[in-house]
Amino acid sequence: MCPKKILVVDDDPDTCVYLSTFLEDNGYATDTAKDGVEALQKVEEAPPDLIALDITMPEKSGVRFYRDIKENPARQAIPVIIVTGISRDFEKFISSRRQVPPPDGYVSKPVDLPAFLALVQRCIG
Amino acid sequence: MELPFARLFQTMPCYLTVQDREFRIVEANERFREDFGEVEGRYCYHVYKRRSERCLSCPVALTFRDGQSHHGEELIRTANGKDLSVMVYTTPIRDEAGKITAVMEMAADITDVALAREQLHESQERYRLLFEEVPCYISIQDPDLRIIEANRSFREDFGDGLGAKCYEIYKHRDKECMICPVKQTFQDGQVHHSEEVVTSRHGEQINVLVYTAPLRDAAGHIKNVMEMSANITEIRQLESQLTSLGLLVGTISHGIKGLLTGLDGGKYLVTTGLQRNDPKRIEKGWDMVRRNIEQIRSMVLNILFYAKDRQPERQWISAPALAGEVADLIQKEAQDRSIVFQKEIDEKAGEIEADHQALRSMLINLLENSLDACVSDEKKDCHQVAFRLLGHSDRVTFEVEDNGIGMDQETREKAFSLFFSLKGIRGTGLGLFIANKIAQAHSGMIRLESEIDKGSRFVVEFPRKPLKGAVC
Repeated sequence: MCPKKILVVDDDPDTCVYLSTFLEDNGYATDTAKDGVEALQKVEEAPPDLIALDITMPEKSGVRFYRDIKENPARQAIPVIIVTGISRDFEKFISSRRQVPPPDGYVSKPVDLPAFLALVQRCIG
Repeated sequence: MELPFARLFQTMPCYLTVQDREFRIVEANERFREDFGEVEGRYCYHVYKRRSERCLSCPVALTFRDGQSHHGEELIRTANGKDLSVMVYTTPIRDEAGKITAVMEMAADITDVALAREQLHESQERYRLLFEEVPCYISIQDPDLRIIEANRSFREDFGDGLGAKCYEIYKHRDKECMICPVKQTFQDGQVHHSEEVVTSRHGEQINVLVYTAPLRDAAGHIKNVMEMSANITEIRQLESQLTSLGLLVGTISHGIKGLLTGLDGGKYLVTTGLQRNDPKRIEKGWDMVRRNIEQIRSMVLNILFYAKDRQPERQWISAPALAGEVADLIQKEAQDRSIVFQKEIDEKAGEIEADHQALRSMLINLLENSLDACVSDEKKDCHQVAFRLLGHSDRVTFEVEDNGIGMDQETREKAFSLFFSLKGIRGTGLGLFIANKIAQAHSGMIRLESEIDKGSRFVVEFPRKPLKGAVC
């Protein structure tokens, strides 16, 4: 069976390498994007099974990207886990959403790997 | 008196006199006699002004000369000492041959009008003085945001740019601000306020608190908007120590979380690389650790410089050795980010007396800023950062040049401000601020040349030995 694919979206290349290596070590296929614009492109080209998303990014922010995904009927079923360094950002993010459903999980930086993995497994097995 | 309207002459509610060529009063009406007594035969200037000779500017004399009517405003004193303002009109009286034999002078009491006018003038002067001297910047703007009037304080700091647009003068920009309180006031007629950072004509950054108010015409339409800006730079500078502490904690904890994640990543790669005996992974992980440690080091040093917690340690150091050390560090970072790094180090640049750590931090801040400017630029395929050291007899010059995103004038002017950052997660807004402080502490200066989409060039000049009084 083909491994499930996770798209890691973060403007910090080290975080992208870190999370994608960890996920690959745990049997997932990965791809990375440095901002919302690139992430949206990659979702359109080949929809992943799950998205790990940073909120504070240049270009298209994580919030905008999340809305775009969740408002698109063809893509809204993809689970999204928020990975961010600022809890305040996350609160703002939660309060800013109205018509969109809440994300499927939240992980704060520095990342607790076992918790992150458990969350991923709960979402896509 | 042989005038047809003699009765009218007598009862006119003003002073009427007829004067001969010597300015003697030969006839006067009732009102005049009431206030000045029986004065026929006496000189006009003596009766009206208590003068011993005629006035320099005399409408009666003018009428004798040219036969025309004349008028003027005069101050006179009645017999019982009351001062009056009068409007004087003169007209010639001719004989049958047409020769001017006398001049009739009419003086109407306008004391109340003159007083009201004087009060109005005084009050206008007071408001003008208030407008001019109030210790804040006041400008009057038209609907196109053109400055049509400005007070002294404004003219002193922003020049006499009447007719220019507000944002051209305040922001040195050719586009209006995203949120403009003046526009808002034009739209809704309400008072609006905002806080802005503006740049004076001497390039000085000024924090201002802006209030706007509508100026309406008689029909109630908003013709112009008055903008009043109070200079709160000093307050902000005082506050900055405290408020920035909160910001510092916020932005730095954000940055540190990013760096810790990077360190965790490196640790994970090294650990799993060792388990799997995968040298490539170990190397990749170790690079991550090294890079993040270096970033933490520069961040911590920046914080310490900011907190002034660090005592400067001045010693004679070799400028080429310092440049080489910094270049080696940046070389690797540039390579990781696919940026071409060129170094041109003058090996004979010699020594300078400086704090080694501080200068190292300053150069790293400038170079990392340039690398970031390249990474942020998506318009060019190939990016490069050049690092140069030049030695002169009395000073050394470091240059950092990139072909990254570049800066517009507004960004250039704010570049060295505290907490100004365009970099998202890794930007603390401290780097260039600290770099500038370090340069100043060494009696040096940083010159910035930059153009949007083309790139930036920082030139730092240091005297070989800091001037006395320079402190870190």
